Amino acid sequence: MGRRIAVLVFPGTNSEAETLALLRDCGGEAELVHWSRAQSLPAFDAYVLPGGFAYEDRIRAGAIPAHDPMMDYVIEGAQRGKLVLGICNGAQILLEAGLVPGTGDARRPTAAFTHNASRKFVCTHVHMKLAIAPSRSPITAALAEGALLPAWAAHGQGRLAASQVHLREIERGAHLAFVYARADGSVDPAATPNGSALGCAGLLNREGNVLAIMPHPERDAWNFNHPDLREGRNMLAPSGGAPLFASFVAGVQRS
Amino acid sequence: MAVGLKIPDNEAYTAQTALERLGIPLARVERSAIYVFQAPAPADELAARVTRNESVFNPNKHRLRVLDANAPRSGEVWIEEAGARWADADRYVGWRLFGEGDRPVDRATLEAAAERLLCNPAIERAHFPKNEEER
Repeated sequence: MGRRIAVLVFPGTNSEAETLALLRDCGGEAELVHWSRAQSLPAFDAYVLPGGFAYEDRIRAGAIPAHDPMMDYVIEGAQRGKLVLGICNGAQILLEAGLVPGTGDARRPTAAFTHNASRKFVCTHVHMKLAIAPSRSPITAALAEGALLPAWAAHGQGRLAASQVHLREIERGAHLAFVYARADGSVDPAATPNGSALGCAGLLNREGNVLAIMPHPERDAWNFNHPDLREGRNMLAPSGGAPLFASFVAGVQRS
Repeated sequence: MAVGLKIPDNEAYTAQTALERLGIPLARVERSAIYVFQAPAPADELAARVTRNESVFNPNKHRLRVLDANAPRSGEVWIEEAGARWADADRYVGWRLFGEGDRPVDRATLEAAAERLLCNPAIERAHFPKNEEER
């Protein structure tokens, strides 16, 4: 049997279907695990936390699910080196759980993806650019240097915020995995849709096995998801978002 | 001004459940949106400003309370998020925790609840009662 990936479903998660579909398209042996089956999680080799509004964002986005029993297993697995990918609300949960950037103790967050600078929900097409050496993480190891991925940003709370001390830790510790960029790959503040500190679109932990990204590459994985149908009439042609998932699956299979 | 729910507050119940899972047993939790206006004005004028705004007050589910003081009460912590304002008012989320005998919890319990769940210090600041004995 191959390496198994659990796609976690909390009450309020809503992106599990496309996340599961893309993982499988990329060759991953993935299945959904609902909160009522938390005890099955130790048998999996990697975890993906999809987007949504887990527990209705009560208290803060990600605050309640970070204390869900499912996260006991995710934290334990991450500390043992299992690969973990969080997308959008999944990323918020990883920060609230203290796994990313991982500069403090578990469940003692040192940063947050919080309200956008505009205080409004953003739904827009973006590009996320790899800002670390691919080999820094097994999750990104199969990407090209400076890889540019199309994705959809769809969040009200996607702005990285932290104290100046912790932002310096993020920069110096190579935690800044992805930044927002223009379609030509150039990086400037105007490409950041939410006022995120450091132009951050994704954060990595110190060990490199936990990645939290705010945009949704799984929503721009097939041509029918892409804004200009650049692959013509072939609706199921790859549209650019899949390489990160393919790299994650490859990392899981190597682990 | 404090705006709380007069219908069951699911979010407060979720907070209570999560805090109990963290080893902080509680009888109940009250949650309210706190507005502290910067410009001095009569209480009834400020109350009218709040109750006229449908985005912050719905008479079918909310009740308004005029604050005795611009500080948390016993057993209450106010969570301030940078940039969270409404009009010319500072906005906080107030959490009041009740323990055994339905009495407001002590300062240590309140601080533990804030540290472990209610406040993310990366983006928020917790305000506690200024003087527990006097309040």
